[in-house]
Amino acid sequence: MSKLPRSFGRRPFTWKLWAGLAGLLFLLAIPLLRLAGGYLQTLGFLTFLYVTMSTAWNILGGYTGQTSFGHATFYGLGAYTTTILALRGVPPLLTLPLAGVIAAVYGLLWGYPCLRLRGQYFAIATIGVGEATRLLMLNLDDLVKHSALFEGLLRKGVLTGGATGLMLPTPPDIRAYATAFYYGGMALMFVALAVSWWVKNSKFGLGLFAINMDIDAAETVGVPTTRYKILALLLSAFMVGMAGSVYAQYVFYIDPQTVFGFPVSIAMVLMPTIGGIGTLVGPVLGAVVYVVVQDRILTANLTLGAFRLSLSTMHLLVYGGLLVLIVLFEPKGLIGLLRRFVSWWERRGPQRVAAASSHPRRGEP
Amino acid sequence: MNIDLPALIVGAVLLAGLYATMSYGLALIYGVMKIVNLAHAGVMMWGAYAAFLVITRLGVNPFLAPVIIVPLFFGLGMLMQRFIVRRVMYAPPISSLLLLFGIWLIMQNVAYLLFSGDTRTITTPYTLTTFKVAGISISVNRLVVFAVGILALVGLQRFLGHTYVGKAIRATAQDGAASQLVGINTDRIMEFAFGIGTALAGLAGTLMALIFAFDPDFGRSHLLKGFCIVVLGGLESFVGVALGALVLALAEALSILVVMPALQDFISFAILVIVLVIMPGGIMGLIAMLKPKGVIR
Repeated sequence: MSKLPRSFGRRPFTWKLWAGLAGLLFLLAIPLLRLAGGYLQTLGFLTFLYVTMSTAWNILGGYTGQTSFGHATFYGLGAYTTTILALRGVPPLLTLPLAGVIAAVYGLLWGYPCLRLRGQYFAIATIGVGEATRLLMLNLDDLVKHSALFEGLLRKGVLTGGATGLMLPTPPDIRAYATAFYYGGMALMFVALAVSWWVKNSKFGLGLFAINMDIDAAETVGVPTTRYKILALLLSAFMVGMAGSVYAQYVFYIDPQTVFGFPVSIAMVLMPTIGGIGTLVGPVLGAVVYVVVQDRILTANLTLGAFRLSLSTMHLLVYGGLLVLIVLFEPKGLIGLLRRFVSWWERRGPQRVAAASSHPRRGEP
Repeated sequence: MNIDLPALIVGAVLLAGLYATMSYGLALIYGVMKIVNLAHAGVMMWGAYAAFLVITRLGVNPFLAPVIIVPLFFGLGMLMQRFIVRRVMYAPPISSLLLLFGIWLIMQNVAYLLFSGDTRTITTPYTLTTFKVAGISISVNRLVVFAVGILALVGLQRFLGHTYVGKAIRATAQDGAASQLVGINTDRIMEFAFGIGTALAGLAGTLMALIFAFDPDFGRSHLLKGFCIVVLGGLESFVGVALGALVLALAEALSILVVMPALQDFISFAILVIVLVIMPGGIMGLIAMLKPKGVIR
């Protein structure tokens, strides 16, 4: 009996390793194969970006249990930092770490006071922070114009461009550029995953889990709760800021409604929650589902006879429904569902063997 | 720029009545169930669309629309509590938050599907009528909206103070376990409170639709203002909510003197965060804190 689980435990590991390697090779080969006219490459890039964001959010929202509805502020700040500097002649790639740093500094600015709030209050405050930041960025130009102190920041009378947004010049070889970003996005994703893995297996991560379970108890046993919560926020903000920077460089156009909009924050809440909150793989799964569903639905049109229904706004309906189902029936998300299925499958295995071996005996006269 | 200060203040007071209606439902639900109802925004938005349908399709008088909408939304709230929200009552607070957030998303996107993203307005016969009192012109529309909101709140206050169910709701808000011990069916009471809260949100949505333009995204900024008011006013009392609504409406109105109008909402969100962080007890908490020190009597 004791031998059985061990042999069961070893074989899936090598199996997983081979599957992982094959998957990685496939991802690496996508730009070379140019599958479906580069469509898969674009989808892949988006997935990498969303996995990064989802994983970053999960460090604060999943491991630490501080649900933030304000992560779009980091994404937007990252995107704006890069675009504003690039328009002033700084090479965009060099702005990548700075985008992360600026996002993290802003995170410190609102995170320090807000993280003293508990659970639900923190979540509400972050909605407020997100909306306030969006409004501020929408009107920043008008504010800057009227103050002598900041007037020097303007370039051709523009800093953030208000609702019009900012445009970056496109490079000559757009295809090679996109391919480079595909690999860059992939690298960023693996960095985010490595950080998430490290956090999960470190003493720091243990502290975060303790905060999530019972903050008072964690405090009592000597976890520096405030410092850990802020560190988690900074780490999270830094990575989301970099993702925002990559996004801005990839699409060449940003405006406050797209990068600071509430939907961005919603996406970052939904992906890890759907995939499996507080796990390493859950946010990845959630992000993949998010991107694929969004992509399928945005392009779909439902035709019922003469009645044509555009489903372009439906994806949030699907996620809302998924979120409700997951909270009600499987709080561990898709990963929890998967685990439940695997354990059911394994429990089922030996029974079938037993049934098969007992069958001939029963057939004997 | 010439700003008519008295008119600004009168306008703010009238708006405060509406804000109070919108926030009281939030406070009631939090008080009884200790959950933050993010779906409140969705309900307000549906209230606005329900008013739109009832008034334009059925041709009901705009100010009689609440008579139809309030019972409807009361029922909706009861059903929501019984079949969905009750399941997460004893789960960690984050699950109820996420659940109600999911419901909000569903409500919002169903509205997009049914009504598209177009901005709608409801024009009533009184929309453009004003009258003057002591040199201040007051919109009849806003005055009636204010009156309906206040009437509903006063009625609710009487109900909570003078009926068995009302007293049971207040008892449950104070101490759920103790209420159960004295024989209150708290499950039923929570259902009822959620119904009332939802009905108030529906009413607030209806009233707002008479004043503001709305689309399916309508409600998010109002939800934040609602939180702001509830936190300002403290979660226990009707007076607190009214006071919080008044403070927020005045702060918003007077902010025009300092910042540009586009940043008006910024003020209320900033107040929300600041109040949450530095005075979680709200105005009442502040008064309670200052009383023993003899600063206020």
